[in-house]
Amino acid sequence: MQGDGDHRPDRRNQPVSTRGGGKEVPLPGDGSKLPGSLDEVEGLLRESRARLAQAEKMAELGNLVAGIAHEMNTPLASVSSNTDTIALVLQKLNGLIVSEFPDESSPARRRFEEALSIAAESLRTSRLACDRILRLVGALRGFARHDDLRMQKADLHAVIESTLALVAHELKGRIKVVKEYGDLPEIECYPDQLNQVFMNLLVNAAQAITGPGEIRIRTSRDRDMVRISISDSGSGIPAELVSRVFDSGFTTKKAGEGTGLGLSISNRIVQSHGGRIELDGGAGRGATFTIVLPVRTTGERKTNEH
Amino acid sequence: MNTDTPRPSLLILDDEEMVLTSLRNLFRLQTEYEVIVHSSAREALESARTRPVDLVISDYLMPEMDGITFLGRFKEIQPQSIRVLLTGYADKENAIRAINQVGLYQYIEKPWDNAELLIVVKNGLEKRQLLRTLEEKIAELAKVNTNLKSLQTALLKAFL
Repeated sequence: MQGDGDHRPDRRNQPVSTRGGGKEVPLPGDGSKLPGSLDEVEGLLRESRARLAQAEKMAELGNLVAGIAHEMNTPLASVSSNTDTIALVLQKLNGLIVSEFPDESSPARRRFEEALSIAAESLRTSRLACDRILRLVGALRGFARHDDLRMQKADLHAVIESTLALVAHELKGRIKVVKEYGDLPEIECYPDQLNQVFMNLLVNAAQAITGPGEIRIRTSRDRDMVRISISDSGSGIPAELVSRVFDSGFTTKKAGEGTGLGLSISNRIVQSHGGRIELDGGAGRGATFTIVLPVRTTGERKTNEH
Repeated sequence: MNTDTPRPSLLILDDEEMVLTSLRNLFRLQTEYEVIVHSSAREALESARTRPVDLVISDYLMPEMDGITFLGRFKEIQPQSIRVLLTGYADKENAIRAINQVGLYQYIEKPWDNAELLIVVKNGLEKRQLLRTLEEKIAELAKVNTNLKSLQTALLKAFL
């Protein structure tokens, strides 16, 4: 399964502390030697600052999104409720028409029924549309929320689905999502954080595919562990890069596209759950990231549970 | 519904008119309840002083005061009313804390499900009705007890 031994963040990298909330911004490069000239140090510092600014921008964007989702909730609640109420009104009207025009072939009854069926069909579409927005807004609110720090039992399939709802627009039409869901027990976790992990892996998978393609999500249980693998039909990750993809700051994307933090954050989140992320670079046939998580987490984190 | 008991009554408070319209229409269509709606907490409290209701539903996040403060004040005016809080997702924790604070009967999350909301309200009204019946029975018992006591006194007097 694993392409190459150890994929944890490369400890040889010397982290440079910044004042921004204690996040570590490592020096790029292989880190095996310290930079030489002052120019070089300045360059690295500039780069670190740029990354930090980018991370801050993402955090701001997250807050903005959460705020918008929150604002949308009340009008959406009203629309959703009205949709159901109107459906009941139409049912009532239908009953009235049947009793007022007992003759099924009467032109009046036909005209009423015709109008009602149009209204009912339009309303069904509204219901579906509304459900989709509800899911999306629900996912956005859940996603951006970081205040709930309790571990809870969660259905990972539901967590994956809520993430899929968020990235749907990025995949639409271009990438097919194939789900092979196995039987998973509920696991003890921080669902919001896992959302973030799935989001990172799914967006990466989508970006790895040029043109049309496929993302395959497989889930299975293996004794006390659950495995969630996300494979893309892209060109895979070259063997020489496989050991570095989890390093923070490592990115192959252009500035503005990636922060180089996604996979390292994902890795940290999964490790804090007592799990690991395995990577099969795929040797040119698409990469597979597999998240392995324990069903029950042991140790101090359990004490967070109420 | 029994015809000789008055219609159950609700008061709904939300600063968003669209929520009030949605809820009022839902109850108009599906129930026989008498529904009073308010978009201002102060007006709702004013109305509470003169008009008893069986159940009150309040939004949480409002400009004048939050839903828990409102329900607390409402409870002082009408202690016997059943109290329901309508909350956004982010306010859930507060709602749970409020259960003891204002004797909250239930909280409902926005966006609510019509069918679920109707059941919560129906059960709340049933509880209110049961409590009222209980009060009446206790009052009856007390009355019978007093009668018995005076009868006993009369009996004792007659024999002594």
